[in-house]
Amino acid sequence: MIKESINNIKLGAFVLAGLIFIILLLYLIGKNQHLFGASFILKVRVDNVQGLRPGNNVRYAGIDVGTVKKLNIINDQMIEIEMVIDQKVQSIIKKNATVSIKTDGLVGNKVLEIVGAKIPALPVKNGDLLTPKKSIDTDEMLRTLSKTNNDLAFITDNLKITVTRINNSKALWNLLNDETIPQHVKQSAKNIQDITNKANNMANHLQIMVQNIQSGKGTLGKIIADTVIAANLNSTILSIQLISKHADSLTQQLSRTIQGIEKSIINGPGAIHALFNDTVFSNHINNSLQNIQNGTDGFNQNMEALKHNFLFRGYFNKLEKEKRKLNK
Amino acid sequence: MQQESVMTIAHLYKSFGNNHVLIDFNLNLFKGENVVVLGRSGSGKSVLIKCIIGLLKPDKGDIVVFNESIGKMGEVELDKVRARVGFLFQSNALYDSMTVRQNLEFPLRRHWLAVTQDAVNKMVMEALEDVGLAHTIEMMPVELSGGMRKRIALARTLILKPDIILYDEPTTGLDSITGNEIISLMIDIQKKYNTSALIISHDMNCVRRASDRVVVLYEGTCYAAGTYADLLLNEDPKVKQFFEQAIK
Amino acid sequence: MHQSTPLQLFLAEVGQIARFAGKFLLQWFKPRYEFAEFIRQCFIIGYQSLPLVGLTGFIMGLVLTLQLRPSMVDYGVESQLPAIVGIAIVREIGPVITALIFAGKIGSRIGAELGSMKVTEQIDAMEVSGTNPFKYLVVTRVLAAICMLPVLAILSDAISLYGAYLGVNIKGSTSFRLFWMLVVDNLAFNDVLPAFIKTFFFGFAVGVIGCYKGYNSKKGTEGVGQSANSAVVISSVVIFIIDLLAVQITDFLGFN
Repeated sequence: MIKESINNIKLGAFVLAGLIFIILLLYLIGKNQHLFGASFILKVRVDNVQGLRPGNNVRYAGIDVGTVKKLNIINDQMIEIEMVIDQKVQSIIKKNATVSIKTDGLVGNKVLEIVGAKIPALPVKNGDLLTPKKSIDTDEMLRTLSKTNNDLAFITDNLKITVTRINNSKALWNLLNDETIPQHVKQSAKNIQDITNKANNMANHLQIMVQNIQSGKGTLGKIIADTVIAANLNSTILSIQLISKHADSLTQQLSRTIQGIEKSIINGPGAIHALFNDTVFSNHINNSLQNIQNGTDGFNQNMEALKHNFLFRGYFNKLEKEKRKLNK
Repeated sequence: MQQESVMTIAHLYKSFGNNHVLIDFNLNLFKGENVVVLGRSGSGKSVLIKCIIGLLKPDKGDIVVFNESIGKMGEVELDKVRARVGFLFQSNALYDSMTVRQNLEFPLRRHWLAVTQDAVNKMVMEALEDVGLAHTIEMMPVELSGGMRKRIALARTLILKPDIILYDEPTTGLDSITGNEIISLMIDIQKKYNTSALIISHDMNCVRRASDRVVVLYEGTCYAAGTYADLLLNEDPKVKQFFEQAIK
Repeated sequence: MHQSTPLQLFLAEVGQIARFAGKFLLQWFKPRYEFAEFIRQCFIIGYQSLPLVGLTGFIMGLVLTLQLRPSMVDYGVESQLPAIVGIAIVREIGPVITALIFAGKIGSRIGAELGSMKVTEQIDAMEVSGTNPFKYLVVTRVLAAICMLPVLAILSDAISLYGAYLGVNIKGSTSFRLFWMLVVDNLAFNDVLPAFIKTFFFGFAVGVIGCYKGYNSKKGTEGVGQSANSAVVISSVVIFIIDLLAVQITDFLGFN
């Protein structure tokens, strides 16, 4: 009988130990999720939750103060995030605080971060709606970074080519030796600038048009049926070609001018110093070169976009075919 | 014999699949009488007493114990009958996980026959003294010899002061001396408490000493009946089979 | 006699076990209640299994941590070791390893015990002694298994986590408080509760299968051995099946 009661005591201790551990575990988890103790609700509306889930932590100044409770879809553009916040920090968080979605570390969980504004304001109340702050999405960041890298590489390449050209151009050096020509050159450069600006503008228009076509998905059928637009586009492209021809003749003119300069250089003594001092002029040249670059780049891009737009793919394919035919 | 009938078995049938074990078996047991059911192994003797105690359900026929039919009983009524019908198992069926004392207490507590610990202790000691094993009270069944275990099992059966005791091969597996001791105990108990007993056996020594009446079970039916002396003179070859051994 | 194919035998066995489980479900809440025997079985099934379960749990926690460490170091997330080990132990390893050890120890014990009781007519003797042996033997044991396995699994989790803590500290250094915070921080109710709930079913499976095998043991000592053996084998397989179902169900309910 005594043995039995000892056994019962042992059993009781065993079961209690198990119960205590599970209760402790559940309590600590619950406490982590701010399920126990006084808490209040804050809300924020964003257009993209970036994978935030109920249970993710909410931080204020880097301290866990609550968890995400619920995600409510308000409409197609807006999602409301409901968070449970520890009552203790209610007086600290102000109404003008902003909320952003961040990532814990590089690959960690999403966290919601409340950032206080520097301007004083009243403390938040239960159910208050805070303002969201566009946060840096790592995905987007990496995307932008990669594009920037590509652009940078492209630019440096071009720069290198330009610099080499300048370096190798005897004509330019000769030109730099002449004192009388700067005025002519300036004028020509200005003309080029004007033309390239125009080309640039044209390209921009075209870009907008393409964008409009691309975004107007609903009326796609109409656009396809509308031969007028296609005709317009055709003529636009033709005029672009015209402009580029203009630019071509201009550059030819420029080169002739330079040849003239070359001649005159033989006749007169150089004035390199004068030219070198004229920083405005060199800037102009630089600008012009860049504008040409930009213009042709933009044009290239547009043409590329056009080619890839399925509306015009057929047209370009046709061009391609004709070209091949001509070549034969 | 003008005696009170305590148990009547009428037209009992029992079969397992195609194996018909009992076919129209009839038996009457009177108060204070020891009846031995004699039969070969596998002739359905154990099935018979398991039907009596309600461990097996007969296919057909009726068993009336103390003027009540077993077949129509629910669990509660059946338990009341079982409290008055002791059963000594062939393999003793002592609970291995319990001491001798707990083994004996078990049926007492189960049938609510004794409530206070004092009463229980008294009855346990009494039953153990009846079988002469009072000193083994705190031992485990595995520590006991076969004969002792049989006696403890008997004590456990006796502790309920049953009116009928069913013995399932009480001497099987024991040497003849121990077997004789058990048989003597059975006879003593019968005298002391005036119980009726149904003994299943094929041990002729047991049959000779313990029986008031012998029933020969052959092919599922009551083949012959009578006192030991009567049957000894029976010329039927089936009956003779059993008794020839005894004469040797 | 009609010769049954193995498939038929298997299905018959499944059906028998299901009937047995159904009988248990019908009987367990009806009087009479064998409370004292239930407590006794809890002691045997629960308390006495603790050393074995605790030892295996401890070793599992320690070994798991040491095995995971190199990969974690390769990925530079060594500091997350407690979190990973904690989730692995609480969600899967704790409950399943405990249940398997439990099936080995208790399933065989119940199978052998009831088997030998069946063979030596002790079950019949009980019935004759005014006791419903199903309630006295089966219901108490199955209930004890259902109640004790979760407790064992929880304690095994605790011991495993302690083993993991030591494992972390063999090659690194983490304070117990930080270890514990990392484990708890990365656990949610979704991790703990489904794992906890499934241990009840593991207990049920081990108890019912052990009892079924013992209760229907064939005659002879060989039958008892077979009962014990098949009780362990079948309940181990059933534990994995339940585990599979549990993960599907929790997934379906959105708890993952």
